[in-house]
Amino acid sequence: MNNYHFGRGRARLAPYLLLLPGFFFYLVIMLGPSIATGVYSFTDASGIQGTTLHWIGLENYREFLFLGQASIDNYGALFRTLVFSFFVTTIQFSLGLGLALLVNQRLKGINVFRTIFFMPVILGAVIQGLIWSLFLYPLGGPLASILGMFGMRSEFLGGQPNEAIAWVIFVQIWANLGVTMMIFIAGLQTIPEDLYEGAQIDGASRWQVFRNITWPMLTPSVNTNLLLNIIGSLQAWQLFLVLIGYRNGTQVLGYLIFAQGFGQASGSVTSAFRQGYAAAASIVLFCLVLGIGLPVQYFLQRREKRVLG
Amino acid sequence: MSTLSTTESAGQRTQNLARPGRIKWGRIGAYILLVLFAIVYVGPLLMLVNTSLKTLPDFMKSATSLPTSLNFQNFADAWSKANFPLYMTNTLIYTVSATVIYLITAVFVAFPISRGYVKGSGLLLTLYVIALFLPVALIPQFQLMLSLGLYNNPVGYIMLFLVNPIGIVILVNYIKTLPMDLDEAAAMDGCGYFRFVTSIVFPLIQPALATVAVLHAIGIWNELILPTIYLTNKDYYPITRGMIVFQGVYGSNWPTLAAAVLIMTLPMLVIFLVLQRYIVSGLTAGAVKG
Repeated sequence: MNNYHFGRGRARLAPYLLLLPGFFFYLVIMLGPSIATGVYSFTDASGIQGTTLHWIGLENYREFLFLGQASIDNYGALFRTLVFSFFVTTIQFSLGLGLALLVNQRLKGINVFRTIFFMPVILGAVIQGLIWSLFLYPLGGPLASILGMFGMRSEFLGGQPNEAIAWVIFVQIWANLGVTMMIFIAGLQTIPEDLYEGAQIDGASRWQVFRNITWPMLTPSVNTNLLLNIIGSLQAWQLFLVLIGYRNGTQVLGYLIFAQGFGQASGSVTSAFRQGYAAAASIVLFCLVLGIGLPVQYFLQRREKRVLG
Repeated sequence: MSTLSTTESAGQRTQNLARPGRIKWGRIGAYILLVLFAIVYVGPLLMLVNTSLKTLPDFMKSATSLPTSLNFQNFADAWSKANFPLYMTNTLIYTVSATVIYLITAVFVAFPISRGYVKGSGLLLTLYVIALFLPVALIPQFQLMLSLGLYNNPVGYIMLFLVNPIGIVILVNYIKTLPMDLDEAAAMDGCGYFRFVTSIVFPLIQPALATVAVLHAIGIWNELILPTIYLTNKDYYPITRGMIVFQGVYGSNWPTLAAAVLIMTLPMLVIFLVLQRYIVSGLTAGAVKG
């Protein structure tokens, strides 16, 4: 603190005063509300102006977890969130690694491929979703026509809930694979070349090179990607909104929170402005993120210490 | 996949050792895989272009065939019916103003944290790093905006975007690479704190600023949830919300819808190709601190 060079006394306050606006916004718009979610989860907040709040204790949690058909549906949403996250994480992770290895070779035109694979990342859920809604248009859309040639047909996003979710998983991976790939590429480029040269002299096979050099040396990017993919996919739901809307049997937790809290549910399921209830659902999701994220983080860090010393 | 999992240097070696004239199967295999993937990425976009050039009856007859004649009517229709001029302007206003204000305030947060010029810098930084894990802030945030009378209000909407924790972390890390002597020398010459940050730090951290600006702006440009929650007046809609509403109305008129999606996609693609370096570093740098 003694290393401050820009004066003493009142001048010492300058960094504090100038930091204030930025930190204030963070506090008021994100950090504060985030923590207050816990408080709201114990109330019957409605989101309608002029109504008073009541403290109702654990009622929202009781209803969310134990009350009738709705709670059974909630467990369904919870389960789907886990399934969605599992498939998105594992597939995106492995494909991202494979693609990174492919485009990290010195081949002609390789930069074009990198650009193409990263492109969807910037388009955002609306464009990503609409592009695939068109491609998967069941009434004679491109994929329907191709399937038709083999005498098959499918409703795609309008089909059975499990099929619709599978397509959302596909689009989610398509959209975000570029980030995973780029993080792996950055990791690959930090591996010193002489390691590979040594292996070459020893006559190691490509698999041995990957197993004993590339994979352990990639540990930091492996950790980053796993953690980002897990947390990101547990919280993701925007593509559900654009691709299939709020439909029974397809909801994930993030979408449920939004629909309960803001009553914007379209389609067959209606819901009102139940913000206290939605806050409780947010806390359930938060517990899921922590419950999976922290152990994974712990495990990854222990492994990193073991592998990289 | 494992047979292709060579890295740059290992692949290079094998090639050097290979006899001239030998067919490089590894290379061919790599290209085949890359092209297959590229089809999945570019195909849907090409289909979008194809559809946008067709008339509706043509599309109904066969969605996949090439258009018999080029028909640009869809673009004119989409432009006016989807209210593009208004919604694009709104998006532009939201994106530019929020990004500029955010960047300025962010540097004044990141600089003293990075230098340890404020007490509890470590704790402050931690508060930004944990943001990734925090519960969804939507509900209390909504209650707050409602009670402040900022619901359905463009100014309130912009305020929601004056925050981006990852941006702070990126800036802090970058500012650490600036030598401390700089501060000392400037102070010695009688330069004040405010002037130091504005006239010396800002120009020196331009690459990081560009990265964070692009990252933040893309997020605002693509935002769909917050306008859905906060903006009910059609005059305030950004383009994302406008598109979803447009889809609701023209959902089965794919040629017009495809044209609208293309109009919305093109500026993003152009920006992406021009600023690719910053965009890639911005969207992956969030990962630097997991």
